[in-house]
Amino acid sequence: MSKSSRKIAILFILPVIIFYLVMAIYPFVSMVYESFTNLNLTIPHSGQFIGLSNYFAIFQDPLALSSIDFSAMVIYIAVPVEMILGLVFAYLIRGLKGEKIFRTLFLIPMMIPGIVFGIAAQMIFNYLFGAANYFLSFLGIQPVAWLGQAATAQFVIIFLDVLQWTPFVFLIIYAGLLSVPQDLIDAAKVDGANGWQAFLHVEFPTLKPLIYVALIIRIIDALKIFGKIYMTTWGGPGTATSSWSFYIYKVGVSYGWDIGYASALAVILLIVSTILVNILIRFLNLGEQLGISKEA
Amino acid sequence: MRPKTKRRIVNSVRYIFTILILVVFLFPAYWITITAFKPSSEWNAWPPHFWPYHPTLSNFFGGSSVSSIEGILPFLRNSLVVSTAVAVIAAVIALLAAYSIARFKTGGMGLAGWIISMRMLPPVTIVIPLYVIYAKVNLLNTWTGLILIYLVPAIALGVWILITFINQIPKELDEAAKIDGASNLQTFTHIILPLSLSGFAAVMVLTFIQTWSEFLLATILTSNSAAQTLPVYLGRFITGYNIAWGALSAAGLITMLPVIIFGIIFQRYLIRGLTFGAVKY
Repeated sequence: MSKSSRKIAILFILPVIIFYLVMAIYPFVSMVYESFTNLNLTIPHSGQFIGLSNYFAIFQDPLALSSIDFSAMVIYIAVPVEMILGLVFAYLIRGLKGEKIFRTLFLIPMMIPGIVFGIAAQMIFNYLFGAANYFLSFLGIQPVAWLGQAATAQFVIIFLDVLQWTPFVFLIIYAGLLSVPQDLIDAAKVDGANGWQAFLHVEFPTLKPLIYVALIIRIIDALKIFGKIYMTTWGGPGTATSSWSFYIYKVGVSYGWDIGYASALAVILLIVSTILVNILIRFLNLGEQLGISKEA
Repeated sequence: MRPKTKRRIVNSVRYIFTILILVVFLFPAYWITITAFKPSSEWNAWPPHFWPYHPTLSNFFGGSSVSSIEGILPFLRNSLVVSTAVAVIAAVIALLAAYSIARFKTGGMGLAGWIISMRMLPPVTIVIPLYVIYAKVNLLNTWTGLILIYLVPAIALGVWILITFINQIPKELDEAAKIDGASNLQTFTHIILPLSLSGFAAVMVLTFIQTWSEFLLATILTSNSAAQTLPVYLGRFITGYNIAWGALSAAGLITMLPVIIFGIIFQRYLIRGLTFGAVKY
């Protein structure tokens, strides 16, 4: 690389580096530091170094453990449902007349801010006037206090997540399907494969890496679930729908500014999501996409 | 059964399922939209009204800040200012960085991976230390404070998208310009910049959409109409037992409509941005 090339390469990358050092690394370092202190914004002169106490406290805090449980629940219930429904819908509309219109309509939920979903859910799942209870009344089922009981409130949050993010999974799989050459499928059929076999041996291998990418992005994003919870259940009833992110918010902000403990919870969340991001980067085949070899 | 008849039946079943699924998935958006035009007597009618029987605009212009969204203007302004600023600044910084990474491989895999991870950062992990820092430097409840933090994921997303755009510009063009005596800077302004304009626009639209919808950071880092954005306005609208559902829905409609319209027009960029280029759509 010539000297002037190197100069411009560095000059152009500099704003990003400086920006991230100030806006991400500095807060990150201060968060790690605060996680070892008892800093609480409501207690003057707090902020003494207390070692790993905050981290040990997590394992004895039933609220923290139940919030991790609920986040895990979103991941192991909502995410698989989204994956399957996304796949089903991609196959359902492929080749139908009006495919493009269906596709566009199906994208809409993904664009709606989570907080707006929350308002819609407040009305639809309202005990007194909600459309959900109205539909149930046709089946002869008594009105349900959706947001008032643990199991149904968890159902509502997971249902909303499915509504919002199935379209995302659908899109990745649908775009992947478009990239499978039709001749390959035809050739398989000529060789006597039925529709299912063609899917299993021709289409699925092409889709597999994309399904992994969708899966990992969904898991990472599911860890961030916040707006819908804030707007519908506020983590309740009790702690039934308090996700990990939401619990950090409660500890750190809304219930008493316990920065030290919230930071420890956040550090653990950050470690989990960093591991996931690294797996994602491997699947994205970053080096090849950028034209950068792994050694560079 | 004749194959033609069989196919017709299969297709009809597919249509029925497609429409059923769409009805379920679009129901919340539909409910927000119709409730925005319902008078207060219809908000909690039983059985629920599936369209406004007596459509009204009173939820938008009702004359009071509790039963209508007359007070929404400052929040709309804040959302527009913050989202636009983030979109423009992120696109500029990202274009420079993307050029450096795509053409000179600056930083290699390590830097690229680091930038992508900024897009994935759970906001709740960064907001607490940030609150402490913002309090010290007087950035709480300001546009600048919001813009700065929103740039973190926005720039990451922008770099990512623009790298894929710049990689599509043939390197021969750069080399030809250099042979003609152009400097690196001239190559950038005369070749890369004009040819990546559509990518630049895509980044602006995408980052605008994402910033517009963000709630968690805005609700913690702002405290009144001087800087609060639309989602925060929405989040604070619910007060007491008599919730003005019509007004709340009207505000919801204003919050979601711009993103839906943008999103539909710029679908292909939206997809590329959301999936980190895993999908060429």
